[in-house]
Amino acid sequence: MSFLNLTSVFSFALTTSLGAGAMSVANADDNTPAFHGDVPSYVEQAIKAGIEHQYDGPWEYFVGGGVATFDCNADRRPDVFIAGGANESALYVNQSQTGGELVFKKSNQQSTTIKRVTGAYPINIDNDDWIDLMVLRVGENRILRGGPNCSFTAANLSFGFDGGAAWSTAFSANFEADEKYPTMAIGNYVDRTAPGSPWGTCEDNVLLRPRARSLTDKFSTAPAVSYDEPTSLSPGHCALSMLFTDWNKSGQDSLRITNDRHYHRGGEEQLWQLDKGRYPRLFTRSDGWQPLVIWGMGIAEGDLNADGFPEYILTSMGDTKIQSVDVVQASEEQRPVYEDIAYQRGATAHRPYNGEDLKPSTGWHAELADVNNDGMLDLYIAKGNVEQMSDFASFDPDNLLLGNHDGRFVEHGDKSGIALNRRGRGASIADFNADGLLDLLVVNRAAPVSLFRNSGFASEYGPRKGGNWLAIELKQTDSNKHALGAKLAIKTGNKTQVRQIKLGGGHASGQLGFTHVGLGVAERATLRVQWPDGEWSASYRLFANHFAVITRGDEHVSYWYPPQNDAPDSMASEH
Amino acid sequence: MNRPSMLRMTALLLSGLVAHQVATAENTSAKPWDDAALINNNKIKAFSGSPDKKQLDRLIAEGRRLFSASFTITDGVGRPMATQAIIPTKRKRPPKNEFARTAGLDANACSSCHNLPVMGGAGDFVANVFVSEGFQLADFDSTDPQFSNERNTNHLFGAGLIELLAREMSAELRALRNQGLKQARSSGDIVSVKLVTKGVHFGKLEIAPDGVVDTRKLEGIDTDLVIKPFSQKGVITSLRQFTVNALNHHHGMQASERFGARWTGTNDFDEDGVDKEISAGDVSALVLWQASLEPPVVNTLIPPNWQAAAARGSAQFDQLGCNSCHQRTLPLNSLSFNDPGPLDAAGTLRSDELGTALNARYNLALMDWAEALEKDDQGRWLVPLFGDLKRHTIADTQVDTLGNELLSQRFVERNVFMTSELWGIGSTAPYGHRGDLTTLNEVISAHGGDARDSRDAYVKLTESDKSDITAFLKTLVIAQ
Repeated sequence: MSFLNLTSVFSFALTTSLGAGAMSVANADDNTPAFHGDVPSYVEQAIKAGIEHQYDGPWEYFVGGGVATFDCNADRRPDVFIAGGANESALYVNQSQTGGELVFKKSNQQSTTIKRVTGAYPINIDNDDWIDLMVLRVGENRILRGGPNCSFTAANLSFGFDGGAAWSTAFSANFEADEKYPTMAIGNYVDRTAPGSPWGTCEDNVLLRPRARSLTDKFSTAPAVSYDEPTSLSPGHCALSMLFTDWNKSGQDSLRITNDRHYHRGGEEQLWQLDKGRYPRLFTRSDGWQPLVIWGMGIAEGDLNADGFPEYILTSMGDTKIQSVDVVQASEEQRPVYEDIAYQRGATAHRPYNGEDLKPSTGWHAELADVNNDGMLDLYIAKGNVEQMSDFASFDPDNLLLGNHDGRFVEHGDKSGIALNRRGRGASIADFNADGLLDLLVVNRAAPVSLFRNSGFASEYGPRKGGNWLAIELKQTDSNKHALGAKLAIKTGNKTQVRQIKLGGGHASGQLGFTHVGLGVAERATLRVQWPDGEWSASYRLFANHFAVITRGDEHVSYWYPPQNDAPDSMASEH
Repeated sequence: MNRPSMLRMTALLLSGLVAHQVATAENTSAKPWDDAALINNNKIKAFSGSPDKKQLDRLIAEGRRLFSASFTITDGVGRPMATQAIIPTKRKRPPKNEFARTAGLDANACSSCHNLPVMGGAGDFVANVFVSEGFQLADFDSTDPQFSNERNTNHLFGAGLIELLAREMSAELRALRNQGLKQARSSGDIVSVKLVTKGVHFGKLEIAPDGVVDTRKLEGIDTDLVIKPFSQKGVITSLRQFTVNALNHHHGMQASERFGARWTGTNDFDEDGVDKEISAGDVSALVLWQASLEPPVVNTLIPPNWQAAAARGSAQFDQLGCNSCHQRTLPLNSLSFNDPGPLDAAGTLRSDELGTALNARYNLALMDWAEALEKDDQGRWLVPLFGDLKRHTIADTQVDTLGNELLSQRFVERNVFMTSELWGIGSTAPYGHRGDLTTLNEVISAHGGDARDSRDAYVKLTESDKSDITAFLKTLVIAQ
């Protein structure tokens, strides 16, 4: 089937305002689809920005290398906690000027300077004013309880949390129905102490459901929740990423886990059914679950066609997968039957897009985001050889697959400036300097962290602004303050984009903060929020190119403005 | 036709011919009888820099030519697979009739509607347009207000000054907000900021120390603090945005800066077989011509009895409080008109999308009419617009004539409209946003909502006093 036939087959599924007729045609010379949109100009500036950090170490640190991105000092600028492997982890506090160069200052507090860290995820466990950190390690995992001004204290004991001794590599969290505190899952990799390790000796994963406890001392600052009754999710198949997800729009999350076939024997990808109050149960063949065996490294979730049923990006060695559910079976029979649409979407990213190496590529962190604000999701994949695996590409640059009008993705890693010769692992896409353009931080193995500032979009006249955008912060007051699990439906004209506030997935990396949405040429949008308990909000009316703050129960939208430099025309950053 | 009219017509024809020749100079195959009105798209480079008077006149002539051009299918008229929406939006199927007085295409040229009393002016009731968002039910074939808002054609005279005022006011309001943000951040307290610019009050902002701004006490302006001075609703930021919108809506002529491949993946979004129908230079030409239009004037060549009545009416106008919204003048700091402007969002060309050298900075002080503008004691030009560039509620439960729309538009409620600038009102009957009020007395009496007190006071006036107000308003004319 020719490419053009493929596009005609798949373009019908798009529910964009552009419709099928906006299809691009293939370039005559190389059969890649024509792409006329904006390509970000990324400028690598980690050292200049004050981030001098490297994830490294022996075999245990061939995987991992995550980064937690969150605001630890209530200034709404994303700060980062970066794993170091055998090196120390580090917390970098964001001091970037609005719209300016990226600037971070390393925190010197002891609690965030830890060795044997593989990754980390930000989460507000105790519903106070500060975000906490779940730090994944080779050895005891740690909860770092957040306090003012990016202060953290080790808090395993106060949360009743046994950090264990496993090699942890994955994490996700959600709020189950009517629960005040989060449910957390930790994914573990190889059990190095088991006979025959590492082959076929995958460690079980762990589910941590909250147990509220009453505090006798009313002045106590201890958290009112305990995680002292972990549930084993067995069998484990060497998880490298996991994600709570409402795969069938039922309002009930299941736990999706991607596993590394390199070490498991007889394992496969997993989906755990987690009905509240019931013991977790795996979806099986009889439920419609199809076996899939990959070198699962990372999960990204996104609703590519805005039908409310999420698609999943699964990174692996060789082909990247994009799984799209059979909607009829999912909604009518609750059967998780998936089709891989990565090829049709031009997103297999199975080997390096430049260089001479024809060997398969190795994918790790994946993230969907609109990096050029054109209203279409783009796909970033961190790439890099495990260490020296000769059957796989050694020069394996990260992918930046930009969404096109025909529903396909088109590779622009090279043109955007991110194609460095480094072994990518975890990553984070966030607007570090509050200019409406998404920047990119990549944790590389045995190489410096890459920090790419999005400096605008290349044109014949130099860098220019891209499409319109919105950044949206949802707030709840008593519990689940960051509205984990909330769904946002952003409507511009006839087009709806869907985002969900999630924590988990990626490769050992997660973030909390503004949800970024590109709007293309729409200068306004209406937004409806489905709050985590399923309640839909009324429509909010938003003007583009703003940071919007929406507090549950308040029908009015507030705007947040980052500190402005003393430039004479500070409105420049808004339009 | 009297002699001045004939002379004017001759001049127009000549200037049109000259412009046509300028625009087509590169195209040796162009023939006088060609169907195409555009022949060649204008290059943006021609509309850049700071042209002198002679250059400016030449560029304005090209804009005038395009404004009066009857576009044809050779140019790209028609949008068989696109709706009138301001966001590129596909139809499911082509319409049976491409031209329709309801959803459009509804005009062959800009001047088809903007022609009273002269080109660039307002329109008769017959030139009403039907404003729909163009997303759902884009092909309505009814004038029923549940499908669209019926609007009379506004005049464009003085539009450059209006846009400049809106830009300055928006900048001042944003500066106030930024000062408030700075103060709140440094003090740690909630700061309340009164938004007043050029004497017009737009409510206030409550700013928290963390930089979160509560906009619920704003009045008459969007939460982005951008004054959008164009359209009766006050929802269009710039002449450039208006031009791009209108070209698509009324003619199916799609400007590349919004409908081109960068944003839609194709150069023929409307699928009419014509690529790149309107260039950035074409839009610039149209913007410049509109921006350069002479502001309306006060007609002083009237008989003494009219002058006396107008003087009484003018005083009465103020006594009734009409001038609280229809402010006689607003001060303008600069006559430098930058195109692209500073406030447009993606989809309308922005200054950074061109190299610095390709941005235009037109000096409207070079226009012949500029000398007649009065200045205040601070040297600011006084723009006699009789407006405040603010939106107000204009209907209530008892006086609801102007509350006749069923659809809100771009987040603005049905009964809320931008204060009509009264300059030129003596030349632009009929009145009201639907153009269905034939006399000034009718439209004044139709003011409800925020204007209710002034309207009630007007209604109580003697017929003689009312007549004086009419006499005054009819001196506000478009020069011919």
